[in-house]
Amino acid sequence: MEQLKKVTGKLFSMKTAIGILLLLTVACVLGSVIPQGEAESYYTSTYPGNPARLILLLELNDVFHSVWFVVLTAFLCLNLLGCNLLRFPVILRQMREDYTLDKRLKQWKGEGEVETDDVDGLFRRMGFSKVERRTLLGKEFRYAVRNKIGLWGAWLTHLGMLIIMIGFALGQMKTVKYNVYGIPGTTKQVGDTGYALTIEDFDVTLREDNTVEQYTATLTVTDTATGEAHTGEASVNHPLNLFGMKFYQNSMGWAAQVDIWENDQPLQSQVLCTGEFLPVEDKPELVVMFNSFYPDLTTGPNGMPTSASSELNHPGYLYSVYYNGEVIGMNVLEEEDEITIDDYTVRFSQPQHYTLITAKHDPFTGLVLAGGLVMLAALLIAFYLRTEELWATPGENGRWQVAGRSRKGGVIFLDKLREAAGEQKERTL
Amino acid sequence: MTNQFLQMESVLFYVTLALYVVATALYFVFFALKRDKLAKPANGILLAAFAVHTLTLVVRGLGAGRLPLTNQYEFATSFAWGIALCCLIFIWRFRFQALGTFASPVVFLVIGYAAMQSREVRELMPSLRSGWLAIHVMTAIISYGSFGVAFAVSLMFLLRQRNQNSAFWQQNIPQEQKLDSISYRAVSLGFLFLTLVIVTGAIWAEQAWGSYWSWDPKETWALITWIIYAIYLHLRIGKGWKGRSAAIFAVVGFVCVIFTYIGVNTLLPGIHSYA
Repeated sequence: MEQLKKVTGKLFSMKTAIGILLLLTVACVLGSVIPQGEAESYYTSTYPGNPARLILLLELNDVFHSVWFVVLTAFLCLNLLGCNLLRFPVILRQMREDYTLDKRLKQWKGEGEVETDDVDGLFRRMGFSKVERRTLLGKEFRYAVRNKIGLWGAWLTHLGMLIIMIGFALGQMKTVKYNVYGIPGTTKQVGDTGYALTIEDFDVTLREDNTVEQYTATLTVTDTATGEAHTGEASVNHPLNLFGMKFYQNSMGWAAQVDIWENDQPLQSQVLCTGEFLPVEDKPELVVMFNSFYPDLTTGPNGMPTSASSELNHPGYLYSVYYNGEVIGMNVLEEEDEITIDDYTVRFSQPQHYTLITAKHDPFTGLVLAGGLVMLAALLIAFYLRTEELWATPGENGRWQVAGRSRKGGVIFLDKLREAAGEQKERTL
Repeated sequence: MTNQFLQMESVLFYVTLALYVVATALYFVFFALKRDKLAKPANGILLAAFAVHTLTLVVRGLGAGRLPLTNQYEFATSFAWGIALCCLIFIWRFRFQALGTFASPVVFLVIGYAAMQSREVRELMPSLRSGWLAIHVMTAIISYGSFGVAFAVSLMFLLRQRNQNSAFWQQNIPQEQKLDSISYRAVSLGFLFLTLVIVTGAIWAEQAWGSYWSWDPKETWALITWIIYAIYLHLRIGKGWKGRSAAIFAVVGFVCVIFTYIGVNTLLPGIHSYA
């Protein structure tokens, strides 16, 4: 039992908390300095030799999802929980016993920080309205305390942090998130949610100087089981909330129609978004990929294709052709150009915007927000509702000896007391 | 009209810069030569610099047609404004004239950094067109400003302690206990506002990007700064780390603040790269 007490005492101690926080700080620094989530080959080429091996071994390529980081965070949660459980009865006792006249009298030798003739006036001047008066062994005493709630500040801050971390962890496990992209008219299933998303329209609002003011997608979400459908708009900073899911206007890009002919006969036609590829129907080992699009094609200073503006003035399509997985051609096509490979002819046309919509459902976002609000309120209590006391008794010279203390910032509180006593004296004079 | 506002802003900016230089010089003379009579004029000039600075920001806002809080220049000048505001509040609240001697050079350095940035006005990208922008960035300005004041006070503490045998330092700088308490108050204010920055940023990120936390370098460094100050508060309250250790911690914390603001934007690109 003693052993268990010792272990829990250490585990829930402030020393352990600070140790974990320092380790988390180091983890965060590493996670921000080392690029995260890249392929293994990136690390072996960027940090050749032992550094790369160390990065991969310690999962420094994905710090925030690594086992050790999760374990560290779990320990912090445990520490916070234990600390709060241990502190709860202590704070209750402090509230009941520590902030009382009896407790002060046990420790006070009767010396005041200041002297006054008008003790009630000084208490009022210091902002203490409720004053306890007591006579003990023929001696008068005054005592006042305020902001006892301040004792709970740190405890509530820990609680808020704990709620945030639990909400975040549960969110990581339970969040459903899918990306759906396409041009207007596209309907796709939203993962395995049972909903279908139709992109009805996509609009890019431009300012006079051609900079983008807003991206807006008109979406219809259909419950595939019941057929119930709702339509609404999603724009940046204004997600669409339907069926308990949020639909975000995430990003956009260019799409184009790709037509393939075989011996001058139309074979297939499909809209491709940049980054997508199309295998030739009767020769699947031959694949056409739409790499990139330049709405206002020009040549950059390094001789590479680039876009002079975002306006659709001179379209250019960067494509590549693969045969059995090997690149056999790559170039930029202009509007009327075409590629010919054996019997096949490929042409790109009708460039248009596509939009990428992110559908998300995190049932614990509200919990995290609640934790954040608890923490803010708690910090306000901890820092600005400081528990403060004043007590007084008449001294041998007949004047009231007044002393006081503030749980945090005692020096400033006592300065204020001296100042208030000084002002009182000046007024009397 | 827009250009007129921006031209006016340019003039006002340099007037602000000049006034901060004068205030810094006056504070220095007040402090170094112990000319107490100069404390009031120095405070007055700092107040005037702050007032013109406020006007500069308002004029830029009118010229840009939005809040001037979105690029390196705008945030740097607002950051300097925040430190000046907190400095004036602490001077007034604690009757602490010498603070200006140490805080005004910090203001000058930050606004000097702003002067080196491009002042071009750019339209807001869609993700920045949100009411949360004002709340998020304003809270950051107050937070960073308070940490700036804590840094200046802690520096005073360390210098006073280093020169314990010098009558000059002992007479011209308030007692160590008082400096320690004021630094703690400044850190508390900064910490409260930094928490607000992180919470408002998370709410906004959830609306704009569909994720309230993405481990973006800016977010991560804001968290690192938060943890550093959280450790400071714990050590202070729980372990009685006051005085020198606390002052060193407050200085380290401010280095983190500066890195979060300047270092992350220039060295660690992420989704906050426009800032």
